[in-house]
Amino acid sequence: MNIVSDLRKAIKELLADKKIDLFIGWEKGSLPLSATPLFITSEDEADRAVFDITCGNNLSIYFTKDRKQFADKKVGIAVKGCDARSVVLNILEKQIDRENVVIVGVPCHGVLDKKKVLAKTDGREVLELTDNGDTVTVIGKGYELSFDRSEILSSSCLACIYPDAQEYDMFVGEPRAEVPNENRLKEIKEFEALSTSERWAHTREEYEKCIRCYACRNVCPSCYCNVCFVDQNDPGWIGNTCEFTDSIIFHVIRNLHVAGRCVECGACARACPMDINLLLLNRKVAWEVKDRFGDIAGLDINGKPAMVDFREDEKQDFIMG
Amino acid sequence: MNMVRLDKQKFDDFIRELSAEYSVYAPGKVGGKTEFIPVEPGDETDFTSPVTDMSPKGIFFPPAEVLFEYDEDGVRAAETSHRPIAVWGMRSCDARSLVMLDRVFGSAIQMPDDERFQDPYWKEKYDSSLIFGFACNEPLSTCFCNWFGGGPHNRGGMDVFVVDAGNVYLMEPVSDKGIEIIGKLSCLTDAAEEDEALAAKLASDAESMMTASPDTDGLGERLTALYDEPIWEEISAKCVNCGACTFSCPTCHCFDVQDEGRGKKGKRVRIWDSCMFPIFTMEASGHNPRVLSRERVRQRVMHKYSYYPENYEEVLCTGCGRCVMVCPVNLDIREVLKKIIAYNEQVI
Repeated sequence: MNIVSDLRKAIKELLADKKIDLFIGWEKGSLPLSATPLFITSEDEADRAVFDITCGNNLSIYFTKDRKQFADKKVGIAVKGCDARSVVLNILEKQIDRENVVIVGVPCHGVLDKKKVLAKTDGREVLELTDNGDTVTVIGKGYELSFDRSEILSSSCLACIYPDAQEYDMFVGEPRAEVPNENRLKEIKEFEALSTSERWAHTREEYEKCIRCYACRNVCPSCYCNVCFVDQNDPGWIGNTCEFTDSIIFHVIRNLHVAGRCVECGACARACPMDINLLLLNRKVAWEVKDRFGDIAGLDINGKPAMVDFREDEKQDFIMG
Repeated sequence: MNMVRLDKQKFDDFIRELSAEYSVYAPGKVGGKTEFIPVEPGDETDFTSPVTDMSPKGIFFPPAEVLFEYDEDGVRAAETSHRPIAVWGMRSCDARSLVMLDRVFGSAIQMPDDERFQDPYWKEKYDSSLIFGFACNEPLSTCFCNWFGGGPHNRGGMDVFVVDAGNVYLMEPVSDKGIEIIGKLSCLTDAAEEDEALAAKLASDAESMMTASPDTDGLGERLTALYDEPIWEEISAKCVNCGACTFSCPTCHCFDVQDEGRGKKGKRVRIWDSCMFPIFTMEASGHNPRVLSRERVRQRVMHKYSYYPENYEEVLCTGCGRCVMVCPVNLDIREVLKKIIAYNEQVI
């Protein structure tokens, strides 16, 4: 079977049957390493839809953009496993009505991290990328390189256990349930093993790079406050310079605002123009939530998000000491 | 004055000589990304990519700049006595961007001689600066400087034009300041005739690598005509309104002024701002005239290709391609402009 042609067929059927007004997918981008979001309203446009290793964007951000721009529309959306969890989370948090969205799962084998590709090419520009399955080939001026797919995948994908949607209306291909992954907690455990001063040094080194562009926040489907605390100036909650002391406050607050809500899609880290490892702290907090409250954000459409749930048997050692 | 040459082995001597008078900046790596940083003789520079990740605007217009400080004893102007700045390795696109910014910060077109409209913080750094501009021998696929009157070997905004010619740098003074410094530096030798021929060949080779430009004539007027058209909806649909494009852009120069006070002392800081942010146009009443994404995207495009050229007869874009590279949703400004041009031809 061909994933892309089946996806296009599914979109066309949804439009033809008037089950949706609009479909959000990806199309080939203007650069070889990035696909780009595509909004499809006609069957012709469906032929532009693609799905491959470059489709890193979590498209569920568009539900909450511009104060819920699609609130009165039936919307179809293509989702990877992580994206599906964002859609579910948005449904649980009452940002989307379940009956207004048609979730179309696509089988995900990980998306690329541009900075890992550029590390492979020593910073030389990539003009063409071919996904051969287990390997990926990139071509630029005067070079051609092939490497294992795993070497250029986003670190979120390397730790992923739900590559496919667990909640969907249609699935292109065969969806997988939970996939065991021995690297699930590798990065987190490595971080935890560091001394306090080493963790601080690492955090400082990463967040010092921040230029406060908020690309991380704006590509995050869990960051949809009508007015973000950094966009308030009366009172101004935090300083707006790129000094570490200002930037870290923004990141730590964002980190805690998405506690129990981060689906670990890695969109923040891939969007960062300064290549900050934004995922580590978010995943660390996600793991804390799982460990203490047993909740994985956006996994169970019938569940209650950790932040609005209370159970007598949940761990309270952080309160009781 | 003719071209001179600098043997690359004498590069440290060159930086040393220059450092006697100037604080020297060159592209270097900070946290894995390239930006213009102060360098000393022997420091490593990084020319992997012709386009540094961060533009050089921050040298003259820092991301956060203290304007003055105050405490119980009164108000003190921020320290402004810098050594003059020399920048090495600034590409053609970036050198041009400084000329564009200087029109705004250096004066106001309405009253060019009125010092009330001259930004002392900018002028103090830029007016005394010395720009060693670099020719681009291998433009990237994202480069489009040729769309708006630039070119990989363009000399605009430079004091000295530098061509990387293998083992040597060939230098050609462009401004009076450039002639003066070339005359002063002892590590330079006269270039040979074949050097000039090589520079000319590198220039024509680089130009041939550029992609063809669409017809950008009268773009500003065409944009004005499209102000209320629904095309902005389509263009802005994927934009997430982050500031990656504006902060990486060498010509975006909007800023916010904030007072950071604690107790009886504090400071006033000028901070880069972005028209992509909702608070950018938030008014004291609580009304926001640009509440939707499309209004903010339209503003950015209009400012660059319509409002600024209306004042200065040149677009506020050098075609460096940084916004194309950093956009997290691949909203490519080249595609936006092509769409606008095509739409315009169809509608009007």
